[in-house]
Amino acid sequence: MWAFVIRRLIYNIPVFLAIVLMVMSLLRVRDPVPGMMGKQATAAAIESKRHELGLDRPFVEQYCTLVQQMVTLDFSQEMWTQPGMTVGEQLRKSVPISLLLTLPALVLTSVISLVIGMLSAFYRGQWLDKLLVFLAVLGMSVSFLVYIIFGQYFGSYQLGRLLGRPVFSIHGYEPGWQNWCYYMLLPVLISVLVSMGYNTRFYRAVMVEETGRDYITTAKSKGASSSKIMFVHMLRNAMIPIITRIMITLPLLVTGSILLERFFGIPGMGDALLSAISNNDFPVIEVFSSIFAGLFICSILLTDVLYAVFDPRVRLQ
Amino acid sequence: MIMFRLPTLGICVSGLVLLLGCAPPSRDHGEKTLHLPIVSSGPNSLDPVMGSSQYDSKACSYVYQTLLQYHYLRRPLELKPLLLAAMPQVLGEGTIYRFRLRDDVYFHDDPCFPEGRGRRLVTEDVFYSFKRMADDRNQPKGWWLLKDTVVGLDAYREQQNNAETFDYDAPVEGFRRINDQEFEIHLKQPLYRFMYTLAMFQTSVVPREAVEFYQKKFARHPVGTGPFLLQDWESGSRMTFVRNPQYWPEYYPADPGLREDGTEPYPGYLEDRRLGFYQDADRRLPLVDRVELGMYVNYQPMWLKFRNRELDYTTVPAENYAEAYIKRTRKLRQDYVQQGIRSVPVPLLDLMYYGFNLEDPDFGGYDQQRKCLRQAISCAIDWEERNEVFYNGLNLIYDGPIPPSLDGHPEGHVLPAAYRGPDLGRARRLLARAGYPAGKGLPKLVYYTGRGGRHPEMAEMTKRHVARIGVQLDVRLVDFSTLMDAVRNKRAPFFGFAWGSDYPDAENNLQLFYGPYKSPGSNNFNYDRAEYNRLYERIRVMSPSPQRTELYERMRDMVVEDVPFIGSMGRTRNYLIHDRLQNCKPVEIFHNWTKYLNVDKRQDD
Repeated sequence: MWAFVIRRLIYNIPVFLAIVLMVMSLLRVRDPVPGMMGKQATAAAIESKRHELGLDRPFVEQYCTLVQQMVTLDFSQEMWTQPGMTVGEQLRKSVPISLLLTLPALVLTSVISLVIGMLSAFYRGQWLDKLLVFLAVLGMSVSFLVYIIFGQYFGSYQLGRLLGRPVFSIHGYEPGWQNWCYYMLLPVLISVLVSMGYNTRFYRAVMVEETGRDYITTAKSKGASSSKIMFVHMLRNAMIPIITRIMITLPLLVTGSILLERFFGIPGMGDALLSAISNNDFPVIEVFSSIFAGLFICSILLTDVLYAVFDPRVRLQ
Repeated sequence: MIMFRLPTLGICVSGLVLLLGCAPPSRDHGEKTLHLPIVSSGPNSLDPVMGSSQYDSKACSYVYQTLLQYHYLRRPLELKPLLLAAMPQVLGEGTIYRFRLRDDVYFHDDPCFPEGRGRRLVTEDVFYSFKRMADDRNQPKGWWLLKDTVVGLDAYREQQNNAETFDYDAPVEGFRRINDQEFEIHLKQPLYRFMYTLAMFQTSVVPREAVEFYQKKFARHPVGTGPFLLQDWESGSRMTFVRNPQYWPEYYPADPGLREDGTEPYPGYLEDRRLGFYQDADRRLPLVDRVELGMYVNYQPMWLKFRNRELDYTTVPAENYAEAYIKRTRKLRQDYVQQGIRSVPVPLLDLMYYGFNLEDPDFGGYDQQRKCLRQAISCAIDWEERNEVFYNGLNLIYDGPIPPSLDGHPEGHVLPAAYRGPDLGRARRLLARAGYPAGKGLPKLVYYTGRGGRHPEMAEMTKRHVARIGVQLDVRLVDFSTLMDAVRNKRAPFFGFAWGSDYPDAENNLQLFYGPYKSPGSNNFNYDRAEYNRLYERIRVMSPSPQRTELYERMRDMVVEDVPFIGSMGRTRNYLIHDRLQNCKPVEIFHNWTKYLNVDKRQDD
């Protein structure tokens, strides 16, 4: 297995380098400095800033510098838009906050969607299945932004007025576990609600495919209970697509949720990334894109490894 | 069934427990706390020389201070000493300014000082802070404030920026130290706006020890003389400031009372008294212990927090205007009034305009034909419609480049000689006189504008306006950086911009048309008339007087006739203020007024 992992990692090095190259090239299509310097900047000041940021160096040199920083995990570059703060500090500050939002949301979404998907598949064609599918489609059809705006209005503002005290924060964030509920629970619930539609339909389809398999008929004929068929036999055999879906989501955990973070004033990575993009903060965008690319490659590799763990028919070669 | 009921019950109970467990953390511990918003992701730096936006100004003003400040309550705006013991003496026919610093001003206690004790403010701090504005390594956004102003400073800047290290100990001819508290600044020529410069946050005084101690981190670790200390800064989310326990004795403005003849000492005095703005007269500042500054990129959360009394004031987002005001009468709705909410419209010193590049071969130039062409386009634009559709009709439309309340602003906001639209008949006649009847033979006018916010819709409206006389607009929706680039490189024949005055003097707007400031300078129109330039050189050394106002008017009329720009519109910002917040008289030209605010603690209970 280790030979497989190492070989795959080596194969993916060009992919990683190509992603970094592409991100850097796309960012440099336009000169960010005039916009950054404002209306009063002189040509000399703009040139001086360009020099300070290293944008006047040859592209290859800039590229090699970034790759070197990534390889040595050196995130000490200063942010362009937050003087006095390094990219590493930004990552250390924002990623854990994003994880407080995305990790519970992923766990809850996966567990709930899986259970609903299984129920729906088990009662396929009956009123419960139809109702669940209808709700899933309904959930998918509504924009994320609508969930956020309504969630904020009713969940934070109106509920607080109704109960006579704030229950969920309208906007803002305070660190500390004791504050998690107040600041994070509502965004987590909104995130779960939004993702459930897609996930439920996906898991239902996976389960429905499994219900027609011979081993289900065998299990039924041997007198296995419904719950045992569902949670032991079906679930284990449906693990490959489930793992794929969850594993692909994992790298996204560190990106946070741009919309949720922005609307709820949560200073996570999604919000930081959006600010970096809108302010042309190249160091943040480049470092984060590189890390994300690395994580994505690792998660795909991990998925392959897990296939072998869950499905004895899969061999890593 | 029992098996299903138990987990269901469990989920319900845990949900309820979780819900009841959700409670906001208390951060104020019984202190007087202000909860204020900033409508942006906040400042990027708390180093005054790096700042330029009003958000930078707001945040820096908590911690840093300038030599002068504006009187909080008086209108029209009036300068008064802040770090100075008295207003500077102006000598040598306006070229020498003599200053005396207060002798009781101390920097914040900070580890950058010996034993962590803030030291007294001295002359060298002022010189050092001004020199920092000349140091390119600091990326100063406010160098233009001192450029070509102080004797020897431009040469010093040139020399030091070309040297290996920037020597802050090297002398500048125009900075003359008398003693620790007194000094002179010698100007190259009399320059009235220098007084305003001394009240702008970029010229705030910083201690050299802190800059050298924190180096790059200084931008996030401010050490000043201001009324508050930065306690906490969560970028893009919030900042917390707490009272500076060592703050020097500054007091709330004294109540001047009515004049002997029974008239007001300044316009609006009686209203200020009625609103209780003098109840804290002569009290030591600041009046609160803590300020929580939230940053809001989206309006909805700010609005909901204000409605929930979690913010002490808010500006009114356009989409919530009809919720708070009766649109027809523009009065605050009764339920808001009953909740003790007060509405304050704050007219901004604002110039929103369309600009022409006068060096453009088709639409630029000063001959009669080109002037008629621009005048025709000006007559086709309907500012009132734009105001109604996009700003709920709240903004002020006026002629000329000088915003309301400043010398040179036309009476009743109207100039008979202006080419204000919509006057389609006149526009068509002017277009025909320009040689393009009904727009025939006229090339498309390329219009650069931002693509954010509601600019695309505004551009559509502009396109429709000018199409009515046969002028075709080629709209280029671009991001701000590209817009700046196109204007700065004279590639934009027609563009949409806004200019917020830096100080309350029309000179700040009239310099936008001064020839030597052509792009990439602030004269984006590339307007260059010898007579105008001569007049500008005269007015910038003059202090306020009827003669100066007369020259302002002449210059205003020249640009109105030549139409390098089409305007103007000035925005009005509506503030809604809860009755918990006291002494709040919002203003946007300066931002150090949080120290005057107070809260009614009884309303917190």
